[in-house]
Formats: sequence, C-alpha cells, structure tokens
Amino acid sequence: MTAATLPGDLGVGIGWRPELAHLLARLPGLRLSEVVAENLRPGHLPAALTDLVARGVTVVPHGVSLSLGGAEPVERARLAHLAACAAALDAPLVSEHVAFVRAGGVEAGHLLPVSRTRDALDVLCENIRTAQAELPVPLALENIAAPLDWPDAQMEEPAFLAELVERTGVFLLLDVANLYANARNHGYDAVGYLDAIPLDRVAYVHVGGGIEHDGLYHDTHAHPVPDGVLDLVTALCARRRPPGILLERDADFPPDDELRAELTAIERAAARATARHPQEAGRDRRGA
Amino acid sequence: MTDGARDRLGRAQAALVAALVLGGPVPAGFHSERVRATAEALVHKRAGAVAQRWPLLAHALGADFLPVAGALLAPLPPGGPLRDGWHVARTLRDEGRLPPGVLAELLAVEAVYRQDGNLRPRRGMTVRIGRDGGRWVVVLRAGRRLLRMG
Repeated sequence: MTAATLPGDLGVGIGWRPELAHLLARLPGLRLSEVVAENLRPGHLPAALTDLVARGVTVVPHGVSLSLGGAEPVERARLAHLAACAAALDAPLVSEHVAFVRAGGVEAGHLLPVSRTRDALDVLCENIRTAQAELPVPLALENIAAPLDWPDAQMEEPAFLAELVERTGVFLLLDVANLYANARNHGYDAVGYLDAIPLDRVAYVHVGGGIEHDGLYHDTHAHPVPDGVLDLVTALCARRRPPGILLERDADFPPDDELRAELTAIERAAARATARHPQEAGRDRRGA
Repeated sequence: MTDGARDRLGRAQAALVAALVLGGPVPAGFHSERVRATAEALVHKRAGAVAQRWPLLAHALGADFLPVAGALLAPLPPGGPLRDGWHVARTLRDEGRLPPGVLAELLAVEAVYRQDGNLRPRRGMTVRIGRDGGRWVVVLRAGRRLLRMG
C-alpha cells in the first residue's frame, strides 16, 4: 500500500452535518468532506450528500462505534455498515478511532482512550486486521482527545501509534485539535509529538475548536479554532503537507461567514509553513 | 492468540466504564478528579442529545434542564436519547415535577413504543390521555400516524 490514499491535494474541507448542508453546497472549491457513518443509511443517503459526491467531492465515512481498541472482537455488522457507506459514497478510504466505546456490555456513549500497554496494542492490532479484511478501502485511525490517561502506560502515544502503523499498515487521521488538547491537559510537547509519529502515513487531518473550563481544555467542536491549534497546522505542514485538512464543527453553528473565515484561517496556517519552511531548513543546517 | 490479553483488557476497560457511567469506584491508579470530570462531561453529552430528541422538555426546563436531566441520568447506563429522555420525563411526571406543556411529548413516545426496554414499536392503535396543568391532552396513534389534541 502506498502512502497516498487520497487523490492529490484535497485542500481544506469541512465535515458534513445536516445543519451545514446548505453551506457545503455553496463552497465551489470544496474537495474534501467527511460524514459520521453511524448517522447514514447507505441505501438512503441525503440528496445534499449525493450531490457533493456527484460534484467530485471526496466524502470520507467516519465511524465512531467500532470500538477497535475494545477487548471484545469487532462486530461484523458494524464493519459491514462502514463498508456499505464507503461503497455508497464511492470513498477512497474510511476512518475510525484509536479508542474503545463499550466494555462489559455497557456503552460508554463516548470515545475512551486505550491503555498504551503491550496487551492493548496486541488486541488493537488484531481488531484492526479484522476490520481491514472486511473493508473494501484502506482504513485511517484518529488519535482521540482524552483528559483521562491510563496509569499503566508502557509507551508514549507517538511510539504506540508508530508501532500500530508498522504492524498493520493502517493510516493515520491526525487530529491536531485532539493533540493540542492532550498536550495541554497532560503537559507534553505537541510539536515533539509531530516529530515522533510517521507523518508519511497521515491520510488527512482534523482541525476543531474548543474551550478551557475548570483548568481543562475541552475539544468541543462547538467553539472557534484557537490559535494554538492553527500553529500546529503550520508546524505539521512545515514537516509534511497532508493530502487534506478537515474542519469539524458539530454544534453551536455560527453564521456561514464565520465558518468560511475559519476555513481561510486554516488555509493560511498551512500556507505559512511553506513560507517558513526554508528558514527552518536553514536553521537545521546551521545546527548540524 | 490474544485471549489472555483480551481478558485482562476487558476487565480493566469494564471497570473504567463502570466508573464513568454507572457510578462505580475509580479504578486504582487513575486520576480521580479526571475520572469525575470525564463522567460529568459524558452525562452532559447525554443530556445534550436528550435535549435534541425531547425539545419541549428541554425548552420547558430551560436553564434547569442540564442539572435536572444530568442528575437523573448519572446512575443509569446510557440508553440513547430516546430512552434517556423517556426516563427523565417519566421520572418528573411520577414525582409531579413535569413542567407544563411537556406531557404531549411524553405521551407521544408512550403511544409509539412499548415500555419493555427494547423500544419496540407498538402495534395496532393506541390512545394516551393525561392532564397537563388544567388541560386534557390526548394522543392517538394508528400505524405510523400520530394525532395530538389539547
């Protein structure tokens, strides 16, 4: 499998939500979108979504319920649904999360972090291989935001992701807003994280907004994208420009102009990397 | 090949989920304040989904909706917005705390679904009647058609 799972440069897109359908229909330059697979019936896609596909927009089905990091084997029916969504949308890949969402017969109702242990890595790799065998297109997995961390971690997240990629050939969906949140809440260096993960395996990137509350940063997708997240877009693109970048907005939808301005801000953040890159390369040479 | 790993992982994950959504004890080694904050965020997320599915209930409670729904949902495993909201509305009705203007929303759900926990649709025709403040509310369902009066 080659690193290029997405066709060429898909620019900066935005996630499809029913509330945003009208905006997406009026973004002529749109080339990338994404839709939550669990909200779709593959045989009855909303017309606004099939119109985008007909326009040539790449729409990636994004799963939230496979629980690939869970101890239980992946449910075939959920995989079949994701596969059917990929076929219905003619998508070049599907995405899910490095997370679990249920255990002991109880649904958590949210993406929960996996423990970064050998046991958890073995189970996750096995679940990913099961998924890959059933899916008609490549799979990309997203790093989640979680204020919780397991106490028994045997490796840092970049090493965990790198080994996951190495063992399964899975792609990454790098969420820089989740990275920003975790780096703030757990006190680590987000740029160092970018240097430690296999950037050549990043299929596309998520960007989203959030807010600080009671000393914790929450990745809400309901607030503006903070400058710190845009700085990570620049830092990422200075290292390797991903095939596509996608803005996620799930609630408290602002006027269209504000969302258009956010898309422009992300484009500018990515473009700043191109301007800054020669200087960084120069600094590297001097330091060598 | 990974059966042992799956067993160990399954036990640890079930304990964390129980702490987050069933009010279970915080598993050893976890940052208890972070577990509490995450549990609170999960309940708020559930309540937010209930507000979408039960707009009359959310509107009538206004600023009280999140704390009231959150407190009622916290001890229960997540059941999805329909079932979660049903629990909130039914509890408030049973305690005489259902705000005016909400009963029709509750009766409509009760006219469509059986109360057996599986959310299976009822068959045939059903009528639900109740008093909302000083008014009678009647909900009639026949097949997929739903008629509200009052």
